[in-house]
Amino acid sequence: MRRWHIVVVLALILQTLPARAGDLSIELAPDAKNPPAPQMGDNLSFHSIIRSNGPATVEGVIAWLSLVQIDPGREQPVDLEDWSAHKAVTAAALDAGETLEADWPLRLIQAGTYRVVVSAANRDGVDLATSPFEDFVVREKPVVESQRVLPVALAIPILIGIAMSWRRWNA
Amino acid sequence: MPILLIAGKEAGELLLSVRGLAWLLVFSVVLSAFSLLLVSDTELSLLDNAQVVYDMTGIATALGGLLALIVGVDTIAGERERGSLVPLLLTTVSRDGILLGKLGGIAVAWVVIYVLAAPYLWAVGSTGQNLSDGLLGLALLGTPVVLGFGFLGMGLGAWLGTARTGLLIGLIVLVLAASPLLLGPSLRQTAVGRAFDAVNPFSAAINAYDAVIIDSVSVAAQATNLAVTAAWFALALWFARASFCRIAR
Repeated sequence: MRRWHIVVVLALILQTLPARAGDLSIELAPDAKNPPAPQMGDNLSFHSIIRSNGPATVEGVIAWLSLVQIDPGREQPVDLEDWSAHKAVTAAALDAGETLEADWPLRLIQAGTYRVVVSAANRDGVDLATSPFEDFVVREKPVVESQRVLPVALAIPILIGIAMSWRRWNA
Repeated sequence: MPILLIAGKEAGELLLSVRGLAWLLVFSVVLSAFSLLLVSDTELSLLDNAQVVYDMTGIATALGGLLALIVGVDTIAGERERGSLVPLLLTTVSRDGILLGKLGGIAVAWVVIYVLAAPYLWAVGSTGQNLSDGLLGLALLGTPVVLGFGFLGMGLGAWLGTARTGLLIGLIVLVLAASPLLLGPSLRQTAVGRAFDAVNPFSAAINAYDAVIIDSVSVAAQATNLAVTAAWFALALWFARASFCRIAR
């Protein structure tokens, strides 16, 4: 009888404890339509599934995407403002077993090797839940083509100069 | 049509004379120098490319505004000082007709600036993002801003009577209006900066360029910025008309 009481009390205590972010698990996978060898200017998409593993309801869930560059000598977090307008997803509550799915579009701004990860926190939890890393490499793409800029930058002033000379000659 | 005759004369002085072509040469040299700076930069990202297109649209608008202001002041106050305005006022052409004709010359010059800027934008932005939307934004928002400065110049020239004072005041207004091109985003996020941005047509134009070219927002979503530039155009037109009518009194 006493053992039964202890079980009930423990269950009640567990019920009242705040859900930890550790109760959340996150899967992250690249979209099947992503280009196999992406280059600057391409768009990638990643799909995440955040699952509440229970037993308690997880309240105030917020999940976000992080991107880091891992090229040797250039290791740095990347400011996503320019890469994605998709800032975060939220859920008021996730019951045990419930999932929160999200797509994370990225526009590839700069060449390099990158790792992307989705993190999730909740209102009362003490841990941060993270997905496994997804790595990708962005190939270089020339953004300013000198064979286009040079003719324009040189030819237009020269043409106007010729027009001025012609006008002066015929004045 | 007397209006077209006046516009043709004004545009011809601006574009066909040797002295008139000199400003076009300077304008093209500025854009060429800016473009050549980019070729030597091997670490540009796509964002930087969009940033360059945005900067170029801002420069084109600022130079267009400068040209419109100077020509606007000169076309009234300058001609008055040279004694060539009074004969024009004595013709049968209405005051509004004269004003529109003189604005026509400025509008033609703005079209030439736009056409001249287009190959530069194409050259630096063809591999980047939102080039066509940027050109559309420049046409839709740059035009009322530039022509508004033309009206402001005419209004100041008519109101003050002297080209020097008109130019001085007009340039101060232009520098103030174009200051968002130089100010960092943090300064513009203050309460004063936001209030200034809300009423400044130049801010409206470059904010729209920023949204369209860098943030990939559609031109159709720039209704508020378009309204600010249109309001500026209407206000400058009203000022120019009211000032120009004073000359006849």
